[in-house]
Amino acid sequence: MKYTFHRKQLAIPYAIFLLLFVILPLLVVIFYAFTNEEGHVSFHNFVAFFQSGKTVGTLLYSIVIALVTTAICLLIAYPTAYILSKTGMKSGDALLLLFVLPMWINFTLRITALKEILTLLEGNLAFHPFANTIICMVYDFLPFMIMPLYNTLTKLDDSYVEAAQDLGAKKSHVFLKVILPLSVPGIVSGVTMVFLPSMTNYVVLDMVYNSTFIMGSLIGSYFSAYDWHNGSVISIILLLIICVITAISNRYTENDKADRRVGALK
Amino acid sequence: MKRQMRLKWIAAALALGMILGLAGCDADEEEEIVLRVANWEEYIDEGDWDEEDGFEFSDGTILCPELSMVEDFEAWYYETYGQKVRVEYSTFGTNEELYNQITIGDVYDLVCPSEYMIMKMLREGMLMPYSEAFHDKENELNYYVNGVSPFIAEVYDGLEIDGQKLNRYAAGYMWGTLGIVYNPEEVSEEQASSWSILLDDSLKRRITIKDSVRDALFAAVSIQYYDEITSPEFLSREDYSDALFQCLNRTDKDTVDGAEEILSAIKQNVYSFETDSGKADMVTGKVVANQQWSGDAVYTMDQADEDDVELCYAVPEECTNLWFDGWVLLSKGISEDPRKQQAAEAFVNFVSMPENAVRNMTYIGYTSVISGGESDKVLEFVEDTYGADPEEEDEEDLVEYDVTYFFGEDKDAVILTTEDQTRRQLYAQYPSQDVVDRSAVMACFDKEGNERINRMWTNVRCFDLKNWFQGLTR
Repeated sequence: MKYTFHRKQLAIPYAIFLLLFVILPLLVVIFYAFTNEEGHVSFHNFVAFFQSGKTVGTLLYSIVIALVTTAICLLIAYPTAYILSKTGMKSGDALLLLFVLPMWINFTLRITALKEILTLLEGNLAFHPFANTIICMVYDFLPFMIMPLYNTLTKLDDSYVEAAQDLGAKKSHVFLKVILPLSVPGIVSGVTMVFLPSMTNYVVLDMVYNSTFIMGSLIGSYFSAYDWHNGSVISIILLLIICVITAISNRYTENDKADRRVGALK
Repeated sequence: MKRQMRLKWIAAALALGMILGLAGCDADEEEEIVLRVANWEEYIDEGDWDEEDGFEFSDGTILCPELSMVEDFEAWYYETYGQKVRVEYSTFGTNEELYNQITIGDVYDLVCPSEYMIMKMLREGMLMPYSEAFHDKENELNYYVNGVSPFIAEVYDGLEIDGQKLNRYAAGYMWGTLGIVYNPEEVSEEQASSWSILLDDSLKRRITIKDSVRDALFAAVSIQYYDEITSPEFLSREDYSDALFQCLNRTDKDTVDGAEEILSAIKQNVYSFETDSGKADMVTGKVVANQQWSGDAVYTMDQADEDDVELCYAVPEECTNLWFDGWVLLSKGISEDPRKQQAAEAFVNFVSMPENAVRNMTYIGYTSVISGGESDKVLEFVEDTYGADPEEEDEEDLVEYDVTYFFGEDKDAVILTTEDQTRRQLYAQYPSQDVVDRSAVMACFDKEGNERINRMWTNVRCFDLKNWFQGLTR
């Protein structure tokens, strides 16, 4: 009985965690999504979801919220991250801290504070639920966009930029043809970190008095009515959206890697 | 090698400790009964009162508990029955949460859901009846049957599901009505006295509705059948109460479709569907009217009083929902253990002691179903809290407020109080006879009805593609 230690064994705790809290629940969700109350296999719940104008409406509404949030986050975060990466290394880190600092406080507390500021500005929040939702979502998710962009942009090799400048490219050209394409991996990981969570972050909607359901609230509403089947269907639909987005983003980052390798060889 | 030896010793020591520990547990378990109780959050006195909060009854006893109700119960049970009981007390936030917990496999002995959930649990065979001994009025330790209000007892007697009488399975705890808390500076009493206030254009985005299917549905159905239930013929019907109950419990397609239309319009008009924020938003003035349960209404008005804001409570003229939460024994938890059942029933009796009913009411603001029976303590509390001294107040401002229906004929339950209390805390805590007359219990719906209502709720709350422009811009 000689015991030898393998490095692989370090993965056991995580494997157990993965099995108990990811794989098993996923199987349960899949089971519920494809069965009806009698326990027979059924696709009826899926069909019903796409047949009802209201539930499809909520899917689109969630997507619109997520798209707008992501777009605004990107528009704010890109210049910020760019400027941060161009300042000297030390002050850049300190400035970055200012953006990341809010993440250390629970987001419901931050939204509560933001809500009071918005109330001062607008008076009655209930007249602009959509705008307020977007403002709070952007506030909530902005650090998740800045971080990956900042990381990519600081690692960007300045010699590419210099080369472009030496060869006479205009400033706008340098940005569009060199910097932007090279920062695509950062954009992709920022987008995935913002887009998906903002589709289901229904607590924000509750807090700013937006009474319209998004996908997250729809799951909650089904579950509290003991409707595990329809709730699971929504979860599966979200999962499919995640898969599609991951597939697309993988393609982008892979293309990008391939490009760079080719570039290096040339 | 050395290291392994040491490990062995540690393992042996641990094993020994575990054996001893288990043995200790065994010995305890024979004496101690463990009672698993689940109740609503903040729904029982937790003790630690300040001296000035204390209340002195006319017999000289002073109510100023230091320990929580649960701890006091454990001591009382040991004194009275000579057995040790340990209460494992947990809380839940909604009836559905409790039900889900139980169906997932959590085991409780005694829980306190609302009337419709009691009916659902009874229908699904989850409950066991109270023992004969619990209903024995001769035993003075049976505080519940001896102290429950005659009005509540009558309501319980009238309720049944699938031929099973509810009063065999449930003992009441708190009860109340559903109404509107309003700010009298912005909203008139007449406005607040109809459910159609939720559609009132002049209060656009300054009124909230409960984020709960059943409470929202009740208001919508009341609006829908307003003409019918307020017609003179309907009001003078001999079976008025029963007819009102039937009407407000309709779940047929037309009713639910109509409710969907009304709730969609309400959604466009209200500030929000709120779960808990309505109370604070009323006090700060973000909203000026708020659909609310009577107990929370009392709490809201108390809070507002502290900030020098005057709020009132109105119960719509057409009808209100009479609700109550009650203690039920779960057969899976008790599992035919007579000692456990006795402890559970004793717990219900303990919280039903008149002084304990007063304790809970003071602490949580809701209304106990206990009127006190032989004891006058509950009535004393009401008179002390809301009664006015004719020598101190202007006599013109005083009115007589009759709650005999609740306390029974053999008590003098006419309270001399200031006029404003007929619109405020007293009115919310002990509604007048006419409010009770136009109240109806909302039962548990059948499967088909439930499905229809849940679909309706999803439709109301989901994004409406037809009004997408309106939905996105506002």
